[in-house]
Amino acid sequence: MNVLVCIKQVPDMESKFRVDAAGTWYDTTELAWRMNEYDEYAVEQAVRLKEQVKDADITVLSIGSDKVKETMKKALAMGCDRGAHIADDNVSGKEPCEIAGVIAEYAKEKNFDVIFTGMQSQDRGSGQVGVLVAEMLTLPAVTTIVDFVYSDGRIEVKRELEGGIKAKVAFTSPAVVTCQLGLNTPRYPTLPNIMKAKKKELLSIPIKDLLKVDARQHTDKVYFPEKKGGGLIIEGEPAELADKLIQILKEKTGVLA
Amino acid sequence: MIFQLTEEQNLIRNMVREFAETEIAPTAKKRDEEERFDRPLMFDKLGELGLTGIVFPEEYGGAGADYISYAIAVEELSRVCASTGVTLSAHLSLCANPIYLFGSEEQKQKYLVPLAAGEKLGAFGLTEPSAGSDAGGTKTTALRDGDEWILNGTKIFITSGGDAETYVIFARTDKEAKKHNGISAFIIEKGAAGFSFGKKEEKLGIRSSPTMELVFENCRLPAANLLGKEGEGFKVAMKTLDGGRIGIASQAIGIAQGAFETAVDYAKERKQFDTPIGKFQGIQFQLADMFTQIEAARLLVYKAAYRASKGLNYSTDSAMAKLMASETAMKVTTQAVQVLGGYGYTREFPVERMMRDAKITEIYEGTSEIQRLVIGSALIK
Ligand SMILES: Cc1cc2nc3c(=O)[nH]c(=O)nc-3n(C[C@H](O)[C@H](O)[C@H](O)COP(=O)(O)OP(=O)(O)OC[C@H]3O[C@@H](n4cnc5c(N)ncnc54)[C@H](O)[C@@H]3O)c2cc1C
Repeated sequence: MNVLVCIKQVPDMESKFRVDAAGTWYDTTELAWRMNEYDEYAVEQAVRLKEQVKDADITVLSIGSDKVKETMKKALAMGCDRGAHIADDNVSGKEPCEIAGVIAEYAKEKNFDVIFTGMQSQDRGSGQVGVLVAEMLTLPAVTTIVDFVYSDGRIEVKRELEGGIKAKVAFTSPAVVTCQLGLNTPRYPTLPNIMKAKKKELLSIPIKDLLKVDARQHTDKVYFPEKKGGGLIIEGEPAELADKLIQILKEKTGVLA
Repeated sequence: MIFQLTEEQNLIRNMVREFAETEIAPTAKKRDEEERFDRPLMFDKLGELGLTGIVFPEEYGGAGADYISYAIAVEELSRVCASTGVTLSAHLSLCANPIYLFGSEEQKQKYLVPLAAGEKLGAFGLTEPSAGSDAGGTKTTALRDGDEWILNGTKIFITSGGDAETYVIFARTDKEAKKHNGISAFIIEKGAAGFSFGKKEEKLGIRSSPTMELVFENCRLPAANLLGKEGEGFKVAMKTLDGGRIGIASQAIGIAQGAFETAVDYAKERKQFDTPIGKFQGIQFQLADMFTQIEAARLLVYKAAYRASKGLNYSTDSAMAKLMASETAMKVTTQAVQVLGGYGYTREFPVERMMRDAKITEIYEGTSEIQRLVIGSALIK
């Protein structure tokens, strides 16, 4: 079985973000970097799948500068078998369609049975890459999965819908799935596996070899939303306060019907 | 000279930090208050991650990593919980390492492999009521009786005592020989007849790490449990402590780092005189000193660890690293309490615990005075 996991390196979300000089992305200097949270679920699920079927080979793919290799090493230490690093010093300037195009171009003749991605990235949050890859490869895409069961080419997943509802979806491989929080608890890479990771293959491919799709959108401006005026202060006795609050919640929000 | 961690060392730091923050940190305060050792959390999980045998070769169940990786692991654990840090340090440096360095192949297979895998917890018994800094004053005796040794005596202040399964113990095998020459090392397992546990210490700091008295009353051991050569126990102990001091120095760095980060965060948030206190030069100078001292001490620790990994002599280096790191930990944690003011003195913030924890690093595995003695005597040889 051939498995592909697509991961992205993102800043630690606790970082202090600043808009960059061009005003179209955040300033990437002096940030701590880590694996996109949803991609950790993707890596974990791929490794579990391998542990289940035994005979599987997992490729972890990431697009970016040399720095993303650090995050790829973590995926290798978690149990992926080999790394495909698509070298690109301007990954943040690429829109989801270009990113998906590069991944699809890389994957097209490699016969991956399952392609795992995160449901979205924590920084751009478009949620498009996984589904676009599927479309480009003419594969089914099943998004926001919170449960994954594989048996003999048949995949059964649970998807998270709005309002706490879940859906059970069954399909056959090959397919693309995008992973959501709740799917699993990613393992820590163990010491022996960290040591072994350095011996695993990690090939770098220049982006120009794989970028065949033109951008269809571009980001005009990145900015912090204007600060709204201070909160609403209500005053009065507790019973009165409760009534006022209920009224506000009813009128201004959907919290109370 | 390259002042940069390798990719692996970075991965190890990130992994241990994430583990320490999500799993160890949440209960550190409570375990300290309750003086409770949580073995599944503070040891078994370290085993699952491969930390319990980090520096040993794969053939003995280790991860084959270097001493800097080990220093990083102890540091990251101690940054959130010094008790977990010392549990790993005492297990690996004081029990597993002498078996690795001085054990026969048979002893390594029997004792080191399960220790490295984290299936068994290790401890080290050198200190006695009347033999602390003066380890050569060991009074516990081991007398040869046919194919057996008979041990009698008491060891005190033993980290992980009672909970550990495997013990490296020092006893006098020759009463006639000159002080240091008559001591031998032994491997003893929990449950051996005549081996029991005495008092559990109530302590100022590292309260979640148990410290116990060990009692030997006609404890019979097979001859095969002698570790290293008869009469060379003092050498075993000293070599063991050389490595152990890297662990304790790393523990000290971790404690200092944890307190320092808390102080920086606090200084950014806390406002007095309508100004974040971090904007006051008086506070900035304190933070600058703390940071500088930690970095200087950390470099000494990594240098000692580097030399240990390269097989170079590192006795003086690890003594200097431990001296500097432990005194830094004490200074930095005390200063961190000062930066937090009254809040720092309360248990609402972790710095008071860190200050209590820091003190032990100036005492065990050789007090600061003994480190100076080690360094000084190497200079005037
Ligand atoms: C929490 C804890 C855990 C421990 N864990 C272990 C363990 O796992 N295994 C183990 O074997 N031991 C352990 N110890 C023991 C520890 O290593 C000793 O306490 C330490 O070596 C000091 O010995 P002492 O307490 O007898 O003090 P002493 O040796 O009595 O020292 C008292 C004071 O005299 C000073 N002093 C002594 N000799 C000299 C000298 N020549 N010149 C100048 N000053 C001197 C000392 O520096 C100190 O300030 C532990 C201790 C504690 C508190």
